[in-house]
Amino acid sequence: MRNTKLLILAVALAITCLGVLSIYSSTYQKEGQLWKLIYQRQIFWIFLGVILYLFISKLNYRTLWDITYILYAIAVFFLLLVFILGIVRLGAQRWMRIGWFNFQPSELAKIIMVIFLARYFSAKSIDDVSLKVNRYGIIRAFIVPFLFVAIPVGLVIEQPDLGTGLIIMFIFIAMMYMGGVRLRYLLLILLAALISLPIIWQFLHDYQKARLTVFLNPNIDPLGAGYTVIQSKIAIGSGGFFGKGWLSGTQSQLYFLPEAHTDFIFATFAEEWGFFGTAVLLFLYYLLIRCGISIATSANDHFGRLLAFGITLMLGIQIFINIAMNLGLAPVVGVPLPLMSYGGSSIMVTFISLGILANIGKRRAGF
Amino acid sequence: MMRTKIINLSVIFLFLLLGLGIFKLSVMQGGKFKELSNRNCIRLIPQPGARGRLLDRNQEVIVDNYLTYDVMILPQEKEQIDNVLSRVNEILGENPKELRDRFRRGYLAPFLPVCIKKNVDVKKAMALEELKTDLPNVIVQPCPLRKYPYGSLASHTLGYLSEIDSWRLSKLENYGYNSKDIVGFGGVEEKYDYFIRQEEGALSVEVDHKGKFVRVLGYKPPQNGRDVQLTLDLRIQKIAENSLSGRRGSVVVMDPNSGEILAMASFPTFNPAIFVNKTGPSIAKVFTDPNAPLLNRAISGVYSPGSVFKNVVASAGLETGKIKPSTSFFCSGSMFVGRRSFKCWNTHGQQDLNGALAHSCDIYFYRTGLAVGAQQLHDYAIKFGFGKNTGIDLPYELDGFVPSPLWRKLTKFANWYDGDTANFSIGQGDLTVTPLGVTRVMAAFANNGFLVNPYVVKNISGYDVSSYHKKAAKLAIKEGTLRAVNQGLRKAVSDPDGTANVLATLSVAVAGKTGTVQVDRKQPHGWFVGYFPYQAPKFVVCVFLEHGGSGFASTVLTKEIIEKMIQEGLI
Repeated sequence: MRNTKLLILAVALAITCLGVLSIYSSTYQKEGQLWKLIYQRQIFWIFLGVILYLFISKLNYRTLWDITYILYAIAVFFLLLVFILGIVRLGAQRWMRIGWFNFQPSELAKIIMVIFLARYFSAKSIDDVSLKVNRYGIIRAFIVPFLFVAIPVGLVIEQPDLGTGLIIMFIFIAMMYMGGVRLRYLLLILLAALISLPIIWQFLHDYQKARLTVFLNPNIDPLGAGYTVIQSKIAIGSGGFFGKGWLSGTQSQLYFLPEAHTDFIFATFAEEWGFFGTAVLLFLYYLLIRCGISIATSANDHFGRLLAFGITLMLGIQIFINIAMNLGLAPVVGVPLPLMSYGGSSIMVTFISLGILANIGKRRAGF
Repeated sequence: MMRTKIINLSVIFLFLLLGLGIFKLSVMQGGKFKELSNRNCIRLIPQPGARGRLLDRNQEVIVDNYLTYDVMILPQEKEQIDNVLSRVNEILGENPKELRDRFRRGYLAPFLPVCIKKNVDVKKAMALEELKTDLPNVIVQPCPLRKYPYGSLASHTLGYLSEIDSWRLSKLENYGYNSKDIVGFGGVEEKYDYFIRQEEGALSVEVDHKGKFVRVLGYKPPQNGRDVQLTLDLRIQKIAENSLSGRRGSVVVMDPNSGEILAMASFPTFNPAIFVNKTGPSIAKVFTDPNAPLLNRAISGVYSPGSVFKNVVASAGLETGKIKPSTSFFCSGSMFVGRRSFKCWNTHGQQDLNGALAHSCDIYFYRTGLAVGAQQLHDYAIKFGFGKNTGIDLPYELDGFVPSPLWRKLTKFANWYDGDTANFSIGQGDLTVTPLGVTRVMAAFANNGFLVNPYVVKNISGYDVSSYHKKAAKLAIKEGTLRAVNQGLRKAVSDPDGTANVLATLSVAVAGKTGTVQVDRKQPHGWFVGYFPYQAPKFVVCVFLEHGGSGFASTVLTKEIIEKMIQEGLI
């Protein structure tokens, strides 16, 4: 069906338009040529993203099955490379300079891990009828894929980028669930994760611990980690029902809100467009997610079904964590809002993911 | 399918949750947040704490803090700022343009106050405080600064404070350091900065659009740094510095049993107080002075040990069995090694080990060194801690160097000759060491063969840290060897012809070794290193004079120091 493909593109473009408006609004008053051009660069990324989307939606997604391991190797290679060649910004080594463009390999790692897990959990037995996963024991259902997931996650967390690492782990668990791993194994794994939480706490950086404690009470450290959350809540709250109007947000424009064009763009948007605007935005995101789920449920093979679910859930969890963190409902972990936040890597990877989704949708009626 | 349904439901649930969250913030609490935002809104006022003090071993305060006041202004509309600045300037009496410039330069964000004048005295601070009713956005903030009641005393061991540089910042960023932080440079201030430094607090206040205070939102109290107690004894430190003053060199006094540094002086010296008020020319002078007053010669200067190395050579000879205490050589004033003639500084005649150490006979040690061999000498020097720093808890300690035939071959592509061995055996040539390293070797003779690890910090905010310093290691040296060398060291003082005989008149029995190091075209360096009382050693003292003439000059200085210590009843 051509309709889904167009629908996804239309919704995605609508969201990116709102994003560009907010990026412009939060940066146009700042001094420096770089700031003034930032919205133009975002438009350029979106343009490239749409071309990628159109190209990939024509490419049969089953070729991804064949090159899964190559993709996996590429992801690990880039994550290793960023350690060696990466540039340090905001205290983390997440970016790599390619020409004039800062590439963030952890974004790419997310979608590649979805493809990898989709293939792993849709392997069929020799008779080519029944899925192997239903007969998997704990080792093949969890331990083996976990080892494959642990390598990129470990590298990403070391950067340090806790947010992306957690998102990949979430995708892993969600795809085990959707892939049909037995429920008692899942419960066992969740229990094990819960028990190991205090141990993981020991390995966190001080600033990460601070963010988590500040999440419980932002006023204990008004100078440092709590500041962003307080300002973000004020920005969203002060928008009221109809918002302050475009280019009239004080929080985002008078430097109160840090990262107003990236991680906290939702607060910038909410301040100027109010509850009404955010309701529209949420509806658009919901439409995108629904579209993904319906493509997944009617996909005609297991790989396509799992892949579609994986992509949908990957986008969904990023949207949820980012907005929740803007609202002060989740701790601040650097997760961009897909299609809204400024950033080339995020925009491109999101469009690539949507392209794969559209391709799965296109082929579901055939054969 | 069941699982698909659950996913569907949870997506709907989470979106509803977000919708409700936004609804709660912007519609239900919208009024409150709108007000917060309109009042423009939160001001952060940093609250500085005081850095920890430094104390000597008798709880005497060496480095203290005193209060000054900073004048800060909360940003607001431009016309108002000009008005406020002119009002404030009536009290400060500065150039109004300068003040405006400082405000513009210091401006970071509308919620951060700008410091327009530092180090205001109490009177002006009080006057400004009274203005507060008219000008609510002027903040007078107490700010503790370093005070040095003893001036330059022990400045090398203490270190000084300055704004963090980019090299240090890149290393310390992950430990909570920020640019513009004041951190320690050199000495204990640098090494223990993490403990001594204060933690800045902050007051987060809500202000209205005119900058008027409304209420306190949050408060994080500042935390003072921890007090650090040093092993230094100020009285001995004063004696050492007074005797040394006017020359170039260093004095180290150490407890041979524990490795506690009782005094560490280095001259020329500097006054760390000049870094507090940033008086430009005097700081520049300290950095450009060719005499390098910032250099702590006791740990960051490496020199040839000269004759003070002879006790190591003697030990090597005794340990390897090449000589016995009774072995004697004839000193005719010079000897041939290969085709070169090597001189002694005097003609000593027949000398046994005791006599050779007492008279510092070079011939005796040429012969001993040649018998032992260069490689063995190298190994024994390493054993006594040469070639490696002592690991004292101060930054920038140098290693020194021990040459060996293999090193010569590998790096210089040259052969090692017997002449080199002869030079090596009297501590000349490529062998180098810090005064502290020499002190530690002497301590090993004083404490029955333990290589101690010197340290200067005794406890941190009342918590004893001496057990965290590395334990002394017992050297694999026979008791007899130590006894024989110690007798020789004592004889250097007690023998009427001994090189350190000037110390014989003291009421305390001293043992030690002098050293005179030949330097190209300049005055020789002078060493004296020894310990006392001879029977139960409590102090090791090392006096080093850079281009000081001879070991005799150092010995005389040592006598001065010990005499004063006896006078003040410190022994």
